[in-house]
Amino acid sequence: MSKVPALELNDIHKTFGDVEVLKGISLKAYDGDVISILGSSGSGKSTFLRCINMLENPTKGEIIFNGEPLSLKPGETDLVAANMKQLTQMRQQIGFVFQSFNLWPHMTILENVMEGPANVLKRPKNEVKAYAEHLLNKVGIADKKDMYPSQLSGGQQQRVAIARTLAMDPQVILFDEPTSALDPELVGEVLGVMRNLADEGRTMLIVTHEMNFAREVSSEVVFLHQGLVEEKGTPTQVFENPQSERCKGFLSSTF
Amino acid sequence: MIDLHGFGNQLLQGAVITVELAFASLIVGLILGLLGASAKLSSIKALQWIANAYTTIIRGIPELLTVLIIYFGATSVLMSVASLFGYEEYIEIGPFVAGVTALGLTFGAYATEVFRGALQSIPKGQHEAAVALGMGNVRKFYRIILPQVWRMALPGLGNLFLVLLKDTALVSVVGLDDIMRKASIAVSSTKEPFLFYSAAACMYLILTIISMVAVHYMEKKASRGIKRT
Repeated sequence: MSKVPALELNDIHKTFGDVEVLKGISLKAYDGDVISILGSSGSGKSTFLRCINMLENPTKGEIIFNGEPLSLKPGETDLVAANMKQLTQMRQQIGFVFQSFNLWPHMTILENVMEGPANVLKRPKNEVKAYAEHLLNKVGIADKKDMYPSQLSGGQQQRVAIARTLAMDPQVILFDEPTSALDPELVGEVLGVMRNLADEGRTMLIVTHEMNFAREVSSEVVFLHQGLVEEKGTPTQVFENPQSERCKGFLSSTF
Repeated sequence: MIDLHGFGNQLLQGAVITVELAFASLIVGLILGLLGASAKLSSIKALQWIANAYTTIIRGIPELLTVLIIYFGATSVLMSVASLFGYEEYIEIGPFVAGVTALGLTFGAYATEVFRGALQSIPKGQHEAAVALGMGNVRKFYRIILPQVWRMALPGLGNLFLVLLKDTALVSVVGLDDIMRKASIAVSSTKEPFLFYSAAACMYLILTIISMVAVHYMEKKASRGIKRT
């Protein structure tokens, strides 16, 4: 039996006005894969990640989740979901962690984590509460559950955001530069949580600038340049023996 | 209670009407304001146009005229509409309904701008975090956006409510038995304008002070968890 990829992106294009940011990117993620997406700023890596769950609408391309293609139709300037229900269901199974956390300031930490499973998945409140507390414990902030986001440091907020995503039991988690908005001394605690998730066998796509982290946890590394895949392979291949000059240049400038 | 030549009770009854009118208009106005703001921010041109016409017209007319136009105009409009359906009886809308309509429309027009500002101040990431969880638009609006909009809009809305509370006095011209009209009646039968107008002023002042305290507590409640810098 051939394995169906958890997530498959085919020939994703994205144009903003006259600028073609993505020029046809394809990628397959199987269950348990940890794929790091690298590239200099402007390479399109965040836009690509945001196209996967339609936070950004691609202008062309195909998104296939668990073998089921997301039905898209032409909108004014780009493709839009043809079936909102299908998109909503797909989003419930694809977690997204933002660079700027985007916790809801009017809810406590616990409420932030409970919101998805309790009000979107409609699971019983007491089960959800126990699970949310378990997840907060796992990311190391169980003692802050009754505080509000503004009372936490950036690193703590990002760990809450990860717990909020985990609470939905997503099949795939997308991380959009999860440590880029953090003070350097707080980066480690967030990477630590992500490393544990990778060790658990979670399927993750990570846009990041943390080269050492990408090298250690990834099963595959993709290097984007000007909206195209310039180089891809295992961390050993990409980091130790890059084929493309641009990838070599990028890596030597970051280490 | 102070007797005021026997008109004390009359003034208190007037105060009840004033408060009822203010709250009914507030509810109508809040709904119109949210609808107006959503329409102005919508991508549908026709909705934007309607909302702009609404706020331009209502904010461009003195409130007193709005009350008079609604009171006298609505009656004839209703009757001509009813006659289209073969109903020829005399229809009259009471001063209370006319007052709620006029003051609700006015509050709604100003609240549209307050809500529009508040809606625009919610960062895009707040929407995205909800959408990325697979939350539908309706749930996103009342669970995530509305509580934050409410906090942003409260100071502006509180201000508008104080204006509304005093604008209720205008509805006395079409015969609503509010504080203002009760005071006028007392003045014409006792010939003591200073006493009764002062008493009326005190009642409005008490009502506004109560409102200000209430808004203050609502602001405190809505701002829990938000750091003051």
